[in-house]
Amino acid sequence: MATKEGSFSVEDMKNVQINIGAVVKEADEWDQEMGPFPKPGVATLRDWDYKIMNRYKIMYAPADDTCTLCTYGPCDLTGNKKGACGIDQAGACGKIVLIACLMGCCAHAAHGRHLYHWCLDKFGDMKFDMGDEILVDSPLYQTIIGKKPKTLKDFDEGLAYLEEEVVQLVASTHTGQEGYFMDFESKALHTGMMDDLGMEICDLLQIVAYDMPRGAADAPLIEIGMGTLDQNKGVLIAYGHNLAAGAEAMIYAENNNLWDKVDIGGVCCTAFDLTRITETGRDSKVPKNLGPKAKIAGAMGWWRKMVRAGVMDCVMVDEQCVYCDVLGDAQMRKIPVIATTDKIMLGLPDRTNDPVDQIVEDLVSFKMPGVAVLDPTKAGEIGIRVAIAVKPKRAEAKIQNLITAEQFKEGVEKCTTCNECAFVCPPHIRISDLIAEAKKGNLEAFSSMYEICVGCGRCEQSCPQGINILDLFEYANRQYVKNQKFRMRAGRGPARDTEIRAVGMPIVMGTIPGVIALVGCSNYPKGTKECYDIAKEFVDRGYIVVTSGCMAMDMSLYTDADGKTIWEQYGGGFDGRNICNTGSCVANANIMGAAIKVATIFARRNHRANFDDIADYILNKVGACGIAWGAYSQKAASIATGCNRLGIPVVVQPHSVMYRRSFMGRADKPEDWMTIDARDGSLQQVEPAPEAMLYIAETKEEAMLEMAKLCFRPSDNSIGRGIKLTHYCDISMKYFGKLPDDWHLFVRDVKDLPLVYKEDMLKTLEEKYGWKIDWKAKKILSGPLRPADVSFDPTLIARKIRTKK
Amino acid sequence: MAADVKKGIDTTKNPIPFEMAQVPGPEQAKCFMPKVMGAIIKKAKRPLLVVGAELFDDPIMFDKMIEMGKMGIPIAATAHSVKGFVDRGYMENVYQIGLHPLTNYLRFPDWKGLDGQGQYDAVIFMGIFYKFANAMFATLKNFNRDIKRISVDRYYHINANMTFGNMAFNANDYHAAVDEVIAAMKK
Repeated sequence: MATKEGSFSVEDMKNVQINIGAVVKEADEWDQEMGPFPKPGVATLRDWDYKIMNRYKIMYAPADDTCTLCTYGPCDLTGNKKGACGIDQAGACGKIVLIACLMGCCAHAAHGRHLYHWCLDKFGDMKFDMGDEILVDSPLYQTIIGKKPKTLKDFDEGLAYLEEEVVQLVASTHTGQEGYFMDFESKALHTGMMDDLGMEICDLLQIVAYDMPRGAADAPLIEIGMGTLDQNKGVLIAYGHNLAAGAEAMIYAENNNLWDKVDIGGVCCTAFDLTRITETGRDSKVPKNLGPKAKIAGAMGWWRKMVRAGVMDCVMVDEQCVYCDVLGDAQMRKIPVIATTDKIMLGLPDRTNDPVDQIVEDLVSFKMPGVAVLDPTKAGEIGIRVAIAVKPKRAEAKIQNLITAEQFKEGVEKCTTCNECAFVCPPHIRISDLIAEAKKGNLEAFSSMYEICVGCGRCEQSCPQGINILDLFEYANRQYVKNQKFRMRAGRGPARDTEIRAVGMPIVMGTIPGVIALVGCSNYPKGTKECYDIAKEFVDRGYIVVTSGCMAMDMSLYTDADGKTIWEQYGGGFDGRNICNTGSCVANANIMGAAIKVATIFARRNHRANFDDIADYILNKVGACGIAWGAYSQKAASIATGCNRLGIPVVVQPHSVMYRRSFMGRADKPEDWMTIDARDGSLQQVEPAPEAMLYIAETKEEAMLEMAKLCFRPSDNSIGRGIKLTHYCDISMKYFGKLPDDWHLFVRDVKDLPLVYKEDMLKTLEEKYGWKIDWKAKKILSGPLRPADVSFDPTLIARKIRTKK
Repeated sequence: MAADVKKGIDTTKNPIPFEMAQVPGPEQAKCFMPKVMGAIIKKAKRPLLVVGAELFDDPIMFDKMIEMGKMGIPIAATAHSVKGFVDRGYMENVYQIGLHPLTNYLRFPDWKGLDGQGQYDAVIFMGIFYKFANAMFATLKNFNRDIKRISVDRYYHINANMTFGNMAFNANDYHAAVDEVIAAMKK
């Protein structure tokens, strides 16, 4: 029988079988008690979700008025009618949102599971060690699971938990199961949290196994752009998100001294992770300083432009964000394709067990357009050998990579200005106008729209004349492609504990105006430059700017007057006036992790199995805001939803209406903003801060204004609130020509007012809003929602009340 | 021709969503002639004109919107379009608000409106990024059917109640159609 934790007696027991599961010995190694919610189930944090959703009302924009998921359908749900199964439009939207989040979560989690097996197979179990400066080394894992992994193998427990939750969540989407929209959304929020966990596990596994930077503000600058790929060598592209096969290709090239014959470029997040390999110089089973030898060819939105630009000889695809027609595009240009994971096999024969020489021969001789090779080591070797050997063969075959001037002319002459292309172009490019200019010999219109084209290729499919419009873009931008050579900082991984200690107080008090996270893909409403513009606006203003994934890549394609990219203009620390690249899509977890670390390192909150407490702290005190400006994928939906459950608001671009659901507050409802003062349990109405959890902006200007606003928190002190209001008002004046209509809502005291606008604002408060002002003392006598109070301890969780009134 | 001039611009042609795949279900917008649109807007008790940043691509539309504003219809300037009104010195009944929060408020019957006078009975969209406007119309179509959804944009908006057909590639006709709407409102 158990006597105390960690010991038991078996005296006087007969015929008893004892099964020992996990051995718990954390109590001695962790100064935090186990929190209330280790491994929360689907409904465990439902109360917290409802707190979020009661304040931030679920808003749906249905993309479809019908439901076609079962044989009763199609059911017309227009006007929130019910279908045959009883589900209404809101419920049907909630179900689709949950399914989308599950897709995203599973993509990351399956990536993590694959890496888990692969890393253990390749390297064996390894000590999980993030170095001396990152002691809170797995913040999401610890907050959700309540344990500290010690070795790579320990992550199995987290993955197994996640996988069980996902099965339960998927089951709830079956017809006849969940039907209420708010519970679908609670489950979506749970899915988002599972996604956070899956991403963190995935990134931590690869950081340790591949010896990637562990919070290095000075991670190396690496080459990015199509022009960086050396066309005198065979060019191998590694495309997707899972570094396993691409890393093996790099190791093969290194071990066989082939770098003078081959260049490796990554597309999408695989690119980031390849450039992070073995950069710390620690013990590793992978050759040292390998990462910077790879190049970032570009973000996923550049894929089809790269194919048309003829910059590659062989492509290895792994998983996630790979265009489904990659094989067809490659086959037309005799670019051999190697599918390296079972997630994307493209109809190709599985040659995993065939001899390497035979596979190489089949690909180099074009007997086969591609193969599936599910052993990363074998795939990597094949990729390198094929890229080198196929280059001269492709030259001999006289493959036309690029169109001629004559073909360009023929293409533009065929246009009848029917504008069918404009009806399908996501950023609404008036392609016929570009062609009209080209007919006159002016290619500038095509050039200026190159970065705005998202490379979807829908225009070509809709063109009744069969004009290859992406080829026209390529022709007009040939010189640009050659010169597309920039430098960006390699993914540095998490924020260091020391960095968090330095910025914790300024963030919570508001004197660092906020943490801005730019994440997401390449479906921008108005082109890639918006990434640079948004990032620069906030870095210049002293915000902590963190970024990851394709948005980080796309902002690297622009320079200042001195020719410096944003990475060359600013430091890479987790600090104000810095820009910090955490890494690939799964490295987004480090951004959420940083928010948790502010709560646990700076504020000394127990985070162990204490998710809602930490999320409550972040919601009320950590002025962070994410922006997924080019988000296209279900992963982005899941990431944003995970941020929301953790109390971090997110701004998305107008295309993101396709996600269907947002969380919006109502500033006009005082009862929605009642907040507990944890000091005594009294209720206090607070300003709408943050006003929304998931906000859709129409333009980058609107996005920037909203981001500044979503960094307000009830805990801001007067200096901090003044700084935040200054930026909010400045951005509005800069892009809107006037002060925002709601600035007064955030004023609690005269000290909150930005100095530059103070006099005018006081007059407006008196004349327009009826506040009483003591002009001699320059004091606000009455009017604000509440007084400024530095001791105010806002919370939405009753158990945080310290002394009841 | 004289007969055509009398009849006005035909805004009922090309009822195809500007993003062709935006076909949500059985209930789809009908196209109307400008005069009918103008009469319906005039009849509304609490109309709200909602304009977006595409006005910057066709600045003359700011002047037309100001003309509507001067007829007493309040203007919700979404995205950063308010700058166009600031630059023209017209802020009389112009409110700066994002389309997303605005639609969020519009879906609740108890909202008091931008002027505190109560919920609107008709919204008139124009100059908004197509997919975004389409989605916000979808929100109202499904969750607050008390508000009439009118588009005077150059696109066919399938989730509106009343819309023009696609006029995206004929600016002159489109401008003339909007002028006819305004003229009908003045009658």
